[in-house]
Amino acid sequence: MVRAIRLLGVFLRIGLLGEAQYRANFVIQLLETGLGLVTALGTIWIVFSQTDTLGGWGPAELAALVGVYFIVYGGIQLVVAPSLQKFMEDIVSGNFDYTLTKPADAQLLSSLSEVRVWRVADVVLGICVLTAAIIRESMTVGWPQTLQFLLALALGSVIVYSFWIILATLAFWFIRIDNLLQIFWAMYTAGRWPVGIYPEWLKWTLTVVVPIAFAVTVPAEAVSGRVSGMTFLGAAALALFLALFSRWFWRQGIRRYSGASA
Amino acid sequence: MSPVIELDRLSKSYVVPVRDAGIRAGLVSLFKRKTRTVEAVKDVSLSIEPGEIVGFLGPNGAGKTTTLKMLSGLLHPSGGRASVLGFEPWKRPNDFLQQITLVMGQRNQLIWDIPVVDSFDRNRVIYQLGREVYRQRVDELTDLLDLGELLTKPVRNLSLGERMKCEVAAALLHHPKILFLDEPTLGLDVSMQRRLREFVARYNKETGAAVLLTSHYMADVEALCPRVVVIHHGEILFDGRLVDLIEKFSAQKTLVLELEESTSAEALALYGDVVSASEGRATLRVPKKETAEVTARLLRELKVQDLNVADPPIDEVIDQIFSGAAR
Repeated sequence: MVRAIRLLGVFLRIGLLGEAQYRANFVIQLLETGLGLVTALGTIWIVFSQTDTLGGWGPAELAALVGVYFIVYGGIQLVVAPSLQKFMEDIVSGNFDYTLTKPADAQLLSSLSEVRVWRVADVVLGICVLTAAIIRESMTVGWPQTLQFLLALALGSVIVYSFWIILATLAFWFIRIDNLLQIFWAMYTAGRWPVGIYPEWLKWTLTVVVPIAFAVTVPAEAVSGRVSGMTFLGAAALALFLALFSRWFWRQGIRRYSGASA
Repeated sequence: MSPVIELDRLSKSYVVPVRDAGIRAGLVSLFKRKTRTVEAVKDVSLSIEPGEIVGFLGPNGAGKTTTLKMLSGLLHPSGGRASVLGFEPWKRPNDFLQQITLVMGQRNQLIWDIPVVDSFDRNRVIYQLGREVYRQRVDELTDLLDLGELLTKPVRNLSLGERMKCEVAAALLHHPKILFLDEPTLGLDVSMQRRLREFVARYNKETGAAVLLTSHYMADVEALCPRVVVIHHGEILFDGRLVDLIEKFSAQKTLVLELEESTSAEALALYGDVVSASEGRATLRVPKKETAEVTARLLRELKVQDLNVADPPIDEVIDQIFSGAAR
């Protein structure tokens, strides 16, 4: 664990140095995030000018959901997505060999190797929206809700991370799988709305196949303390299963890499 | 001392997809894959002592890189055993990885957009080096490789030669006991090649690290490797001293003559194969066994100013081995 934090520290520093070389990037990205936020909140406003609730969600709760959506989005884009994207490039170029000759866990190195520092902005904006939603609607958020929220977010993070590892590991067999990631992002956009409003088949897909529900909807529900014990148990079970499975799958991938590549 | 690397009938075969040219074949292969087994390395046995520098020679696809990759833990062998520093490399325990390094001439591990020294810093954390030790080693390597101002430049602004020097330095910060160098001088200009060679020799001398090197440049091998291992089609053809390699595989000697009067190529052909002849200078190739006799005849029958007997250039010998002429 100490090792992981040290590594994250050094990659964070490197990320900061790298991004500092391209400052324009920061501005553009901030613009992108801002635009996304305005669109997301705008659509909520339009929807609620027609109706009072959407699948049992009020305007403030939906705004909170948008907040969570951006926090998780920023989290993925901060480390996991760029690192694993780089990992896949390394598989194609053969530079992954260097990762394997390092005396540190290859999965850990591959998951941390690229940090897009400016993505912190997404997380911060997400937190702001979430806080604003809570304050504006004077929701009562005490310790129980906060703890529930953090727990749900932690479980959701484990689930999403494991899911990404599984996707990325496929690169050991199929080499180029960029399209698969596009599918993930397309599905992730659906997470801007509570999973409950979708038709049954899509709800199912977003819960089990691409676990957006646990990453976004459940933590957002936790803010208003609406998550049942069963849901928590389910999330914990899925998180544990995916974490173990992704680890096992990754090792199969490494075995495959060292068995067949030239 | 016990060997640091020991291979016992190490083998590696790959299953590779086979595909005919053209779109049709490409589409067919999406659904139905034809495969073929390639034996990249066959029953390779050898052992390397601490502090040895060994050159791996062989044409492209001979199995050099595959062997190197098995020894550095990247590939699982399909048969045989290998022990590196007492470890089975492909299990890749951290204690093992901490003591080796791999440098590949055509790939880079430095981070493109940031100054070199920050890539070094990443390796400091990965190899868990103390700051004091790290500082000292960076200074030492900066000195030896003349890195100086390169350290603060972004990697993308370096020339190929400068980058390679930095790559090598980054790969040695943790003072590995074994260096696997795969074509480290690829694409470098002659003087940069020489610099790197001198550095490797010095590193080997000062640290006693073993070095396993593959290179297409004979100059690398001649300058660095007292011992060479020749691999062809995945098998070892020769393992021994470089001089013995030439002795064993070259059936001919080269005679370089300076004559007082220019002599026609036809006249010279009586003594041996004429490689070149112009304006009183001539180069002949004669069978090794007849060297003494031919030399005596030349000195007797022609007005020779100077005569030099030499082994053929090592490039030529190697080429002969691989084209099968010398077998």
